[in-house]
Amino acid sequence: MLLGIDVGGTHTDAVAVDESGILASCKVRTNHDNLLDSIEAALKGILAQVDRSQVAQLNLSTTLSTNAIVQNRIDDVGVIISSGPGIDPENFIPCKDFHSLSGSIDHRGTEIAPLDPAELSRAVKACRAAGLKSFAAVTKFSTRNPAHERQIKAALGQGAGGGADFVTLGNEITGRLNFPRRLATAYFNSAVWRTYNRFADAVAQCMTDLGLDVRVNILKADGGTMTLARSRSMPVQSIFSGPAASVMGIIALTRIHYDSVILDIGGTTTDIAIFAEGAPLVEHEGIEIGSHLTLVRALKVRSIGIGGDSAISLTQGVVRVGPNRLGPSAADGGDRPTLTDALNVAGASLYGDIARSRRVLTQFARPHGLDPEDLAAQAIKAAAAKIQAETRDFLAEINEKPVYTIHELLENRRIVPRKVYIMGGPAEAMKMPVFREFQLSTEVPPDFAVANAVGAALTRPTSDVELFADTEKGVVLIPKLKYEGKVGKGYDLEAATAEAKERLLTALYSQGVSMDAANVLVKEASSFNMVSGNRLAGKNIRVRCQVKPGVAFTLREA
Amino acid sequence: MHSARKLGVIFFPAYDWAISPTHPEREERLLYTQDQLQEEGLYDIEGVREYKPDVATREDVERTHFCFPDVDSVSTRSHHISAGGAIRAARLVLEGERDRAFALVRPPGHHAMKVVHGSRGFCNINIEAVMVEWVRENYGRKRIAIVDTDCHHGDGTQDIYWNDPDVLFISLHQDGRTLYPGTGFPLECGGPTARGRTINIPLPPRTSDEGFLMVLDQVIAPILADFKPDLIVNSAGQDNHYSDPITDMNFSAQGYALLTERLNPHVAVLEGGYAIQGALPYVNLGIALALAGVDYSRVREPDFDPARLAQDPKVTDYIKKLCDQIPRIYFDPPTENQDGEVRGEWFVRSKDIYYDTDNINEEQTEMLHLCGQCRGLLRVETKSTANPLSLGLEIPVGACARCQDLGFRQADEAQLKGGFRYVQLIDRVGKQYLRFGF
Repeated sequence: MLLGIDVGGTHTDAVAVDESGILASCKVRTNHDNLLDSIEAALKGILAQVDRSQVAQLNLSTTLSTNAIVQNRIDDVGVIISSGPGIDPENFIPCKDFHSLSGSIDHRGTEIAPLDPAELSRAVKACRAAGLKSFAAVTKFSTRNPAHERQIKAALGQGAGGGADFVTLGNEITGRLNFPRRLATAYFNSAVWRTYNRFADAVAQCMTDLGLDVRVNILKADGGTMTLARSRSMPVQSIFSGPAASVMGIIALTRIHYDSVILDIGGTTTDIAIFAEGAPLVEHEGIEIGSHLTLVRALKVRSIGIGGDSAISLTQGVVRVGPNRLGPSAADGGDRPTLTDALNVAGASLYGDIARSRRVLTQFARPHGLDPEDLAAQAIKAAAAKIQAETRDFLAEINEKPVYTIHELLENRRIVPRKVYIMGGPAEAMKMPVFREFQLSTEVPPDFAVANAVGAALTRPTSDVELFADTEKGVVLIPKLKYEGKVGKGYDLEAATAEAKERLLTALYSQGVSMDAANVLVKEASSFNMVSGNRLAGKNIRVRCQVKPGVAFTLREA
Repeated sequence: MHSARKLGVIFFPAYDWAISPTHPEREERLLYTQDQLQEEGLYDIEGVREYKPDVATREDVERTHFCFPDVDSVSTRSHHISAGGAIRAARLVLEGERDRAFALVRPPGHHAMKVVHGSRGFCNINIEAVMVEWVRENYGRKRIAIVDTDCHHGDGTQDIYWNDPDVLFISLHQDGRTLYPGTGFPLECGGPTARGRTINIPLPPRTSDEGFLMVLDQVIAPILADFKPDLIVNSAGQDNHYSDPITDMNFSAQGYALLTERLNPHVAVLEGGYAIQGALPYVNLGIALALAGVDYSRVREPDFDPARLAQDPKVTDYIKKLCDQIPRIYFDPPTENQDGEVRGEWFVRSKDIYYDTDNINEEQTEMLHLCGQCRGLLRVETKSTANPLSLGLEIPVGACARCQDLGFRQADEAQLKGGFRYVQLIDRVGKQYLRFGF
């Protein structure tokens, strides 16, 4: 039995599933001041319904890192970089404690100039004087030669006596090239590290208290999971995992053939995801966090401020829904009418205190000379129209650029959706209004209200590695696994591809994950002859492997 | 991070095409450039975007070249994508999608002449010319300037536009007495109807940034200001670099970026450049940033040493003299015929052309009809060690009815009387490209 918990902006959903279906589900309000409370409550709600000895795993999707950044509950980070020749790194300063050192490594990983030890020690001193304990060390082409990043880490020292509590090394995030993104990703990782680890400690404690000795995985935005242990050093990967949980949920619940739009209408937001040829689209390089581009892989999702709890407003005769949430719906005891209240008044839903929905909406409508039914109808139409307009805009943006799904690059492919799937609390109630705006076949999958938690429960681990080998230098590197080896002249693409796959699977295995080798996709494999003078000097080999996102099993009806 | 100008980059490294495994023109050539551009996050700059190349069609090539025996025999798909990359670059700018475009493509093309029997100087089809002719076919007659900053004389582009007064071709290169292809002297300045529309600036070995920029400011800028082109194309070869293995110049990444900034071409197209590790990643980055209007002051090669590259005063003096003399070629071109003679209504010149890459010898007689009304029908009789005597006829852009008629009559006659194995007719007025003898 697998447990899944999705901590959302408004609700925290939990389910227990096995191959026979959903065994239990539970929905509690999210307490933003203490996410662990919500998790614990949801977990207890589930454990009251099932035999806890049957639980094999808990997957958790949490907004903790996202909220920490949005609410600025993050550590000051000492960022020490070295960029060598190229674009001025002043363009990429993420925070005030930023130190740029001379020294450079080139595209083949050759050290062109060493780090300046005097500059390095000045930077370390300045960071210590500022009382910093979290750091990021990022150098250009560190994925080809991590020596300078390691040197910075060593200079920072560890623990007490002014040393670092934590240092993110750029090359350990991913082997992909992109210095500015690597820099931003390392910064955010260190910024949320402390908050995240406190949370991880609390989750571990909570599991012990509940007597649950099972593997805990954390959801990532790319539609996969990582182990709790791994997440402690890479917390940035847990960011924006909520939409991924929903998308994986729909994959588990429904078979999607056509280009489709997936709408997850939650309490605060609606997440729009797009499927092409049955697979969700991904961000090509990585998501943007607070105006910084990063290397955090993610499914392609647009979040807009329309949800069940979105406030209804009326200015100059125009009815709007969202983007703000001004407290709970009247149906939940609030004082401002929301989309949920409008759906209650329109008779589309029967949620919570329906009489209160009507009373509050009537009070709001009267000064404007409107019937509550009129206002409700207009609000529902406005919400559906906004969702449709945003979807159209999102598709236009996607169709302008090459399209990448979780499996592959789709060449010259325009996405033209033929179907809309809706999930989340108000899904059933919003089905017809959405259909009227989109004019496309609109489906609400079974168990739509907990699809996100189902997705969380069933999401498989993902991981990727980049291998880089240079047979002239006789080295092979897999930065993310901190692996460096020696290779002979005979090392070739075939050997490199086999090695990348094997080391990826072994690394997962050592984290307690046994992964079917068939799930490992080789995304890139190339070998170039390097010539020096008129002589073949060696091969320059690059291999990129990825465990494709997927679900442990599906709950589709046969 | 924003760019001042919207830049489109078309990157096509042709990772499956090489002349031979250890040839300078091999798969590895743009590998490190790609690494550098990715590591810099070039495409994340707001205003800079990567685009896929178009694929040049056979018709795009036939509009530009006489290929013998046919297009497919002298070019591969990589060549068509490389030329298509250049077309895409021009299309981005002309459609207004981008302000500037950089076709970072290979294989190169500037040694490919009007007639193609094979590969010379690593080039099969002239990618800038295929682009320029595509532009004129789709956007009408335009004034176009091609500034070739490759270290080797752009003899192919010169040959194609020799008789075309609407295309100004300027080549600056290492002096032909010291480097392949051994041509590109100032007195090579265009045919009788386009004299002064070909400008050659042979620079002495070990010319540094100083010399290149002096030529740009004192020769190229005033000529461009007078010519007023609708489109400026830069054949951006990078083998003037101080570390290039097959040339002998002292140009740097900073120099290339400065030159690009001042020339400010609409479209830059990569040509040669074979210091693939030590120069190309930095030169290409510098050119891309300069085109986009982004600060490039920190782009420099690992072994850059301005003192070592300082220009010898003797070289400076020599270039100063060139700068005094060369503008006259454009503003007051010589009237005497340098390389041919008038025979009746025709201007006739004979050429022997060697295709070094494919080891082919060609003998060619080029005849231009001195029409007086239009640019005039072009007739090229050619035979080579690869092909028997063949004929190319071009009714040029804007040709008069008489020249058009003459072109068709000559094509008919050539078929009736025989003697030519292949006959190709380019009719730019009727937009048709005919081949006979197949």
